[in-house]
Amino acid sequence: MPAGINFNLNGNEMLYTGSPEARLLDVLRDEYRMTGTKCGCREGECGACSVIIDGKLANSCLVAMGSIDGSGVTTIEGYSKTARFAALDKAYESVSAVQCGFCIPGMILASECILAATPHPTEDEIRTGISGNLCRCTGYNAIVKAIGIAAEEGDGLW
Amino acid sequence: MVGSERLPDAQSNQPASGSVTAGSLDEALKLRKENPGLIPYAGGTDLMIEGRADAAYLFLGKVPEMKRIAQDDEFIRFGAACTFSQLICSAHTPGILRDACLQIAAPAIRNMGSIGGNIGNGSPKADSALIFMATNSMLRLVSADSERILPIRKFYLGRKKLDLAPDELIVEVLMPIHGIDNYYYKKVGGRRALAISRVAFAGIMDVRDGIICNCAAAFGSIGDVIVCLDEIDRMLVGKSVEEASALKEAYIDAYNMAIVPVAGRVSADYRKQVCMNLLRDFLESNHI
Ligand SMILES: Cc1cc2nc3c(=O)[nH]c(=O)nc-3n(C[C@H](O)[C@H](O)[C@H](O)COP(=O)(O)OP(=O)(O)OC[C@H]3O[C@@H](n4cnc5c(N)ncnc54)[C@H](O)[C@@H]3O)c2cc1C
Ligand code: FES
Ligand code: FES
Repeated sequence: MPAGINFNLNGNEMLYTGSPEARLLDVLRDEYRMTGTKCGCREGECGACSVIIDGKLANSCLVAMGSIDGSGVTTIEGYSKTARFAALDKAYESVSAVQCGFCIPGMILASECILAATPHPTEDEIRTGISGNLCRCTGYNAIVKAIGIAAEEGDGLW
Repeated sequence: MVGSERLPDAQSNQPASGSVTAGSLDEALKLRKENPGLIPYAGGTDLMIEGRADAAYLFLGKVPEMKRIAQDDEFIRFGAACTFSQLICSAHTPGILRDACLQIAAPAIRNMGSIGGNIGNGSPKADSALIFMATNSMLRLVSADSERILPIRKFYLGRKKLDLAPDELIVEVLMPIHGIDNYYYKKVGGRRALAISRVAFAGIMDVRDGIICNCAAAFGSIGDVIVCLDEIDRMLVGKSVEEASALKEAYIDAYNMAIVPVAGRVSADYRKQVCMNLLRDFLESNHI
């Protein structure tokens, strides 16, 4: 891969010249020092490493850099600058949906993908949408509620 | 090289040449031919778990010819790099396949994992491959120099052994359109979003004017490969539903003899019992 890998990260054009086999998760955290994306399992099972690639939720621990040539990646660092994030942030806070916080960057990006696809999701749709994001603290109910509140309060944003 | 064991690192003595991204099918096939050590990479959801340090990948996720879904009179043609999410959203996807895709993992994995990877991984637990087996789908296997259409039922030669030459790629899956509407699908798993199948079962019963035109049962996760036993299923083909009912116990007995599950996370006895229960339920749901 001679010229390196071109991709967009949170709105910035990037040229990555490291190993194409490297995991996006590791590149984000270790090379770009964007540590909002968490590492829980490196096996696709916990969702702590969730990012959005070309509009779709993805586990960055299972993404080799070479596979995102030409793609757009959004991490929590980029997403947290948006109005949609502000609506989710407020909703999560209103029902104390955050405890230790480890799952939350992934949970927020999963919430975004739910609402982008279905601005007024049913509880079932919310639960399915976050089914790959594990939380050891909250028991999920507050998170599910928060996403429902964001859909109401942030009406028109999605 | 048909029938060769497809262990990418075992195929070549060349040093790893570094990963490459293919922009078109022609390019992918040329790269595959010139660098037999490259490992085809679609969504990475199986490969990155292994995370082999010395791996050199051929990235296929952006090959347009492998991302298409089209339909002709006989088949729906799914590009091998189509993801489960793509299939779930496509109007071409038949019910049995959509049902199975919806029960695979969680949304993020479904956004990444592809049918070509599901088939190419060679796992007996592959949920979309089970559906392609039950529906007697075909694989279009292409190399730079040749092309062949192979029934998926002939593709699995043994544990992780595929009928895939080192220069070939799975390019499309051809799924028959007709005769697959009356289906039965159950995945018995653990926790939903992780649900690697403990046992999965797909059945097709195509009855026209009271006569069984096609009967197919496929069992996943019970042994080295997905089990499909055409010779047993043929017992019921050409029979009326009443005639089939008379043959029901013989049919179930034949499977009972033929199926020898292996123990894994659950015991072999448990797997066997679940298989037989599902098979019986499949027949009974068809009034047999
Ligand atoms: C958390 C988690 C949950 C999962 N749950 C399920 C589940 O419920 N059901 C299920 O069936 N699977 C499940 N899987 C496994 C996996 O997601 C699927 O098998 C998926 O279909 C693999 O596709 P991929 O594109 O990611 O494959 P990759 O990892 O890219 O490739 C897998 C294999 O196929 C080969 N390959 C890929 N494309 C081609 C091609 N075009 N031609 C030839 N060879 C090719 C590769 O070389 C490799 O050997 C799960 C995985 C994870 C991490
Ligand atoms: S770290 Fe990627 S899913 Fe757990
Ligand atoms: S808040 Fe602690 S893991 Fe979710």
